Amino acid sequence: MNEVAIGITGIVVLLLLFATGIELGFAMAAVGFVGFSYLVSFNSAINLLGRDMWDVFSSYGFTVFPLFILMGQIGFNSGIAVRLYDSAHKFIGHVPGGLAIATVMGAAGFKAICGSGAATSATFASVAIPEMERYGYDKRLSTGVVASVGTLGTIIPPTVFLIVFGIITEQSIGKLFLAGIIPGLIVAFFFVLIIYTWAKIRPDLAPRSEKATWKERRATIPEVFWVGCIFMVVVGGIMMGFFTPSEAGGIGTFALIALSVAKRDLTFKRYVTSLNEGLGTACMLLMLIAGSTILGHFITRTNIPQLAADWIVGLPLNRYVIMLLICLVYELGGSIIDDLAFMVLATPIFYPAVLKLGFDPIWFGMVVAITVMIGIVIPPVAICVFVVQNITKVPIGTIYKGVCPFLLALVLVGILLFLFPSIALWLPSVAIK
Amino acid sequence: MRKLLRTVFAVSKVFNVIAAIALTLMIAITVIDVFLRTIGHAVVGAYEVIGMICAPFVVGLAIPLSSWNKKHVAMDIVVSRLSSASRNTFYIVTRIVCILLFLLMGYNLLSVGSGFRTSGEVTQMLHIPFWWVTYCVAIACFVECIVFVCDIIRLSLEEK
Repeated sequence: MNEVAIGITGIVVLLLLFATGIELGFAMAAVGFVGFSYLVSFNSAINLLGRDMWDVFSSYGFTVFPLFILMGQIGFNSGIAVRLYDSAHKFIGHVPGGLAIATVMGAAGFKAICGSGAATSATFASVAIPEMERYGYDKRLSTGVVASVGTLGTIIPPTVFLIVFGIITEQSIGKLFLAGIIPGLIVAFFFVLIIYTWAKIRPDLAPRSEKATWKERRATIPEVFWVGCIFMVVVGGIMMGFFTPSEAGGIGTFALIALSVAKRDLTFKRYVTSLNEGLGTACMLLMLIAGSTILGHFITRTNIPQLAADWIVGLPLNRYVIMLLICLVYELGGSIIDDLAFMVLATPIFYPAVLKLGFDPIWFGMVVAITVMIGIVIPPVAICVFVVQNITKVPIGTIYKGVCPFLLALVLVGILLFLFPSIALWLPSVAIK
Repeated sequence: MRKLLRTVFAVSKVFNVIAAIALTLMIAITVIDVFLRTIGHAVVGAYEVIGMICAPFVVGLAIPLSSWNKKHVAMDIVVSRLSSASRNTFYIVTRIVCILLFLLMGYNLLSVGSGFRTSGEVTQMLHIPFWWVTYCVAIACFVECIVFVCDIIRLSLEEK
């Protein structure tokens, strides 16, 4: 067998291994180890195993993950989301579909401090859905919007997804963060537009709530202000070169802890809960990266990424059609295994081809992010839908029906990104020279 | 058997507490470093203490409890459609694969640590030896192997 055949066999074995229910990171490490042993030698492979593990675990660059994940967990456990939702509710609760719109705005704000889509959906499933039910909102709308707002976690900075993408492709995390702002806001705007139109056409689906007084509204502004400040410090600090992404994670976490403690929202018990949850997620993510690093050494040895790039570039198709096909692979792959895991697995293979086709790496990051956003709300692996179903016990079919209109928004933003790449590239180009 | 499960869970929790302390320390060092840097007195060696000492503790020592609590992402849409017996067989086989993998990882991390120790490798600025950190992560890998053994025991206890 030649090296390419061994590589392809390795990938097939890996997919079969995934189907056995083994942890994805461990499966990647195991296949990478066995493949490398076969191609090089057992001793080299065993050295690779320990060395790659150590390199990933002791990398300063990877400390960005536990820090940003902890920041999100503290935001989740300290009840900041509730008050952001409350603020949006006070301002726009009385317009058609107001509570659902408040959910989008609250989630977009919460996203400025929490990098997890599932955590965003979980928070708003507990906060916004009971409120919408109280006012007689249709379950399709209430659960659909909450599942959909979780997708914003993939693109609005600071996002773990873009950090992983940035590290794999060696792109500036600051640029990726900035590139995600405008597409993320456009997605949120489209969500709002869909809710408003839906509620205008069918007012019975989203009855109006009572109008808050200006005094009540003003009282909620400080919360939004402080969250805005933390966001500006984190993203602005990276953008201006004041600190590295890892330092930004540390500063953001500290600022959030200080804010939560000052507001008496964060007890020691909640901090410990945040630490435990954060460590679990960070460990999962870094094991995934360690596994993909070991697998990557094996795959690189087979020369598959280079050959795949040459083959893809040589296809007699327009480069945008090729990019659409790449997106389709991400969509299908992400539907079978976890989206983030698939991104970790597939990006090193497709990335050289994307560069050869002449696409901007930052733009590619945004396209993959939008693709993944679609993936996390469509079957079979729709993590945000599962979270909402788990909390609300609403039938999964009802939630999927509610998600459908919002999918339209994601597809539309994807199309806009293809037509106008500057949607993603303009902000990094003016902010980072 | 139950005593073994309790002991392994307790050890995993202790490891997780150390990882949590390391993460808190990481935040503290970062904040102090950034603050002092703005007034022209950066913390010497902050970068290497965070990267070479805190980070391996944060991730490495959190592995056993993460596995115990099933935090690692896995694809279960295929196995969930199988019969209970087939599912359990797959589960045991994958646990054995993981045990072998982590035994090799732990063993090689010990070798990496020994290499650091014999060559006298230290951090660049503060000259702190870090072979012991590698040993700690290796020990966490061995504990992870026992966690996988416990997974099989838990499965058999559930079946009874």
